[in-house]
Amino acid sequence: MWACDRAAVAAGVGAGQKLSTALGLQPGLAVFERDESLEGRTLENLACWAGRFTPNVSLAPPAGLLLEIGGCLRLFGGASAIVEAVLAGCAEQAYSVAWAAAPTALGARWLAQAGSGALHPTLVTMQAALAELPCSVPDWPAEVPERLAAFGLHRLGDLATVPAAGLRRRIGNGPVDDLLRASGELHDLQMPFVFPENFAGALELPARVEHAEALAFAGQRLLAALSGWLHARQLLARACTLHLAHDDGSHSALPLRLAEASADEGRFLRLLREHLAHLQLAVPVAALRLAADEVAARPGASIPLFDQPPAGEGAVACLERLRARLGESAVRTLGQHADYRPECATREREVGADLPTIGPSTAPRLAHGPRPRRGHVGKYPWGATFGSARPLWLLHAPQPLAERADGPHWHGPLQLLTRGERLESGWWDAGEAGAAGDLQRDYFVARNPQGQWAWIFRDAAGWFLHGLFA
Amino acid sequence: MSPAPSPVVLAEVLARGDVWRGDTLASLPAATIPSGHAELDAELPGGGWPRGNLTEILVDRNGLGEMTLLLPALARLSQAGGWLALVAPPWRPQAPAWAAAGVALERLVVVQAGRQAAWCCEQLLASGGFAGVLAWPDAGLDARALRRLQVAAEQRPVFACLWRSTATAGSPSPAPLRIALAASAGGLALRIIKRRGRPAARPLILSIPRPGRTSRVVAGPALSPVAARSAALAALA
Repeated sequence: MWACDRAAVAAGVGAGQKLSTALGLQPGLAVFERDESLEGRTLENLACWAGRFTPNVSLAPPAGLLLEIGGCLRLFGGASAIVEAVLAGCAEQAYSVAWAAAPTALGARWLAQAGSGALHPTLVTMQAALAELPCSVPDWPAEVPERLAAFGLHRLGDLATVPAAGLRRRIGNGPVDDLLRASGELHDLQMPFVFPENFAGALELPARVEHAEALAFAGQRLLAALSGWLHARQLLARACTLHLAHDDGSHSALPLRLAEASADEGRFLRLLREHLAHLQLAVPVAALRLAADEVAARPGASIPLFDQPPAGEGAVACLERLRARLGESAVRTLGQHADYRPECATREREVGADLPTIGPSTAPRLAHGPRPRRGHVGKYPWGATFGSARPLWLLHAPQPLAERADGPHWHGPLQLLTRGERLESGWWDAGEAGAAGDLQRDYFVARNPQGQWAWIFRDAAGWFLHGLFA
Repeated sequence: MSPAPSPVVLAEVLARGDVWRGDTLASLPAATIPSGHAELDAELPGGGWPRGNLTEILVDRNGLGEMTLLLPALARLSQAGGWLALVAPPWRPQAPAWAAAGVALERLVVVQAGRQAAWCCEQLLASGGFAGVLAWPDAGLDARALRRLQVAAEQRPVFACLWRSTATAGSPSPAPLRIALAASAGGLALRIIKRRGRPAARPLILSIPRPGRTSRVVAGPALSPVAARSAALAALA
């Protein structure tokens, strides 16, 4: 038995017992095998997550992380602010953490292992705290504390009262050098954790997951690690993929795509929750893997000195959420296209796509339209671009109009108010499926007795209603 | 004998702080958007379209000029860099016309929401990143959903406009401004059903820029070739 939770401890199970003893004490015990490679990977994910606080992170296996926060104190506004942020982040990911902050790495590590959750700002306070620690706290071989106990030295502070040369001969150089490193008299170089070139965080789920919403928690840990990695490497991610490994060995992928690149974990998490709300799992999921697909260097924009950032998440973030819920094609902006046919003149494109648009100045001039009289150009704003007006709204498909003796009818007889505008275009599209095809239409602006203004055309097949001047 | 009461000047009475005049329009705390029509601005509380509140426009017939009424204000919002959203429009917007009206196309978003128009509207209003949201909600939108939209629009400088049918004029709604549109001989007839301040006495007739010539009707061929042929055949028979 290596570790037990509170309910098991209440039943009498403790660390160090044999498995048969534990099962005898509590027959319904859920036992998991200890997997050291999994622990190593989790520690690396945590190290990636810690990249948002400091670029200098070291691993202290089996379960320790050293964060060098001396250089980041000013950015975060004090050591206590960093400590609070770290503890809050660990609590969000549901890790229980024992911590300590001290001027030297080894001193901080011993204090954390002893369970002192305190900040020791100076060497003097740290040495005073270290002096209280029992000799079993450092990772020394087992016989060293026994020998020290035989000499009557129980605390680390007692070791300082004994001559160093004699101590070296009796317990060896290693422990004495450790003491010197902890008190700051010897250099203590740590191996820095190298943030990987391509982020690929993996997580194995402790139990098979059948409902997609339950994946959000595990996904949150991976997204936290991704966000810390992006901070440490000063990158922004635009797309990442969550790979699901199922029980029967198959794999599926869930792409997460942002409208603009960002390093904010919250945005990815919101997007993930929206996707998971729609996902149906046919086979339970056993493991997750997150890979960052599109990363870009973070542009160094300087923040204005006096501006307040606007509250709310902004237009682009809201549109991502809408797209995740309604589908990729439901949220579009418009673009113009140089085509005489009204159906083809409007193109739909993605928000934020940088396709060249045809502006009003480069739109084609109609060869056959009537030249507008001066008075009318000033009257309506769209007279400048086309020879005649264009309606704001176009029907999805032209609607055939009933014809009576005096002309087309639409909720009443229609009065034609302009001369016909002949549009003949599109011979290259004729016969193709899904294309507008060859058009030969005479367009008129018409008004009916109800006061409605419509854009109608006359075709070889009759009169049709095509647009509304709303 | 009691002294005769001294005559009090009417203006002094009205200048007192505890006398409220019932014929004033309200002034809104948030800035309003000028609508581009001076007579309409005089009738709207705050002197323009309200921001941070729902506006309902009720039409029963389309093509009267209802969108052209809003176009000057939308063009102003778009030129200032704001984003506009059209939620569940019943027809397709035609890009050249909107661009010529002054709306920047890359900041005009069309959301085909379908059944979830009310949810989309709420998200767009609450996000705070949009300067104008125009929505065509389902006919069955009840007062509770409208209340949620109103709450989402408050505290944010967004122009929120809902397009509904005139049949809903009788049902209660939390929107502070409700206008019904109809056609009339001189242009567009606005009937302000509800606004902050004194109720509107009579409808307002606005002239909206319309295409084509309104002065005389152009005589053109009335029947299409198909109908002309069938009419000729009927005449022969």
